[in-house]
Amino acid sequence: MVEVFPRLLPPLWVTIKVSFISLFLAFFIGLFFGSINSIYSKFNPINLVSRFYVWIVLCTPIIIQIYAAYLLLPKVGIKLDVFWVGVIALTFNSAGYQTEISRASITSIDKGQYEASKTLGMSLLTTMIYIIIPQAIKRMLPATANEASHLIKASAVLSVIALLELHKAAINLQGNSFKFIELLALQALLYLPIVLGTSYIASILQKNNDDKSSKIDLAK
Amino acid sequence: MLDIDFMIEILPRVLKASLVTLEISFLSLFFSVFLGLIFSIIALSSGKLINILIRCFVEFTRGVPQLVQISIIYFALPYIGIYFDEFWTGVVALSFIGAGYTIEIFRNAVLNVDRGQHEAGKILGLTKYQTLIYILYPQIIKRSLPPITNELINVVKASALLSVISVNELTKIMNDVIFEYFVVIEVLLEATIMYLLIISVLVYISRYFEKRLVV
Repeated sequence: MVEVFPRLLPPLWVTIKVSFISLFLAFFIGLFFGSINSIYSKFNPINLVSRFYVWIVLCTPIIIQIYAAYLLLPKVGIKLDVFWVGVIALTFNSAGYQTEISRASITSIDKGQYEASKTLGMSLLTTMIYIIIPQAIKRMLPATANEASHLIKASAVLSVIALLELHKAAINLQGNSFKFIELLALQALLYLPIVLGTSYIASILQKNNDDKSSKIDLAK
Repeated sequence: MLDIDFMIEILPRVLKASLVTLEISFLSLFFSVFLGLIFSIIALSSGKLINILIRCFVEFTRGVPQLVQISIIYFALPYIGIYFDEFWTGVVALSFIGAGYTIEIFRNAVLNVDRGQHEAGKILGLTKYQTLIYILYPQIIKRSLPPITNELINVVKASALLSVISVNELTKIMNDVIFEYFVVIEVLLEATIMYLLIISVLVYISRYFEKRLVV
């Protein structure tokens, strides 16, 4: 186990890279759709499209989405490195969840804030950018950190399209050395601290938010 | 555009595979609820050491990717001398993954029941086990239904991963058909529609339970 450990470190870095790039890209897509979803009415065309998109993402397994990205992108003439196919698949998946996250936190912001900024003569766009979204991001952070841990777990599925991340690298080493149990245990040991670490950060952020809101309640 | 005739031609295979997916999901849910009930009773009624062990198990199922857990079960079962076919290996793996979540569902539900009921049970001279089994669990079954349906949705999604250990469920059949006929879009679309149907129905059921049962 000690011998192969260094050989698993570069793939571990690939796992982290692919997850966090996707998290970052999906964050902005989610924020965009989430804010449009929460401002405009239900039957706005963009909303209908984004609701349909979220429904597709939430109701299909991630492995299907990864196969779809892998098989369909070349069909429409986009030829990418397998790493970026992975990034696109995970971004596609995560953006669906993050749309829901940002929609929930933007709608949770008090309606009075919109009215207050209207009286101050701000347009809807400036209200969103300067007033609403900064507050919403604070509320989104715990859920986003949770999403990060989901993504790290989901990135293991990218092994099916032969992206050399941690799981795939371990499979390759298993083929060479036939030490199945040792390599699987090693993988578990490498994944556990990262995944549990991110969800621990999520719970700290959640507690932080709860403390602040309870203080505000007391002040009232 | 889409080759509808081909889609109809492969429909029987896809339907059969969807049945396998459903079969695996329900069997695993059944076993994981069973395991969750037993282990949550053990966790709630025993001392620190056993609680720490169960906690470790729960954190393990949460912290390790499902795909890695499936391969661990796939390789570890023969290692300790248990030989199953792929189908049952898949069921064992998904039950193992699901149990981590069901333990937490039941444990939280019991801890949310009013504290007074534990004390009332004690005063009536019931042991810890009796209080749990006769008084607390009947009340939480109703409350646990929505999270359990959610868990079923997760299990259906996780069952797609079993294609890597060549269980003949929907994703595996989809892959086989794609590489048999080299038709991508139609097959992907059909498999996606099957999953959407199955999971949307389950989501609907879970919403229904949430509205009706939780007071």
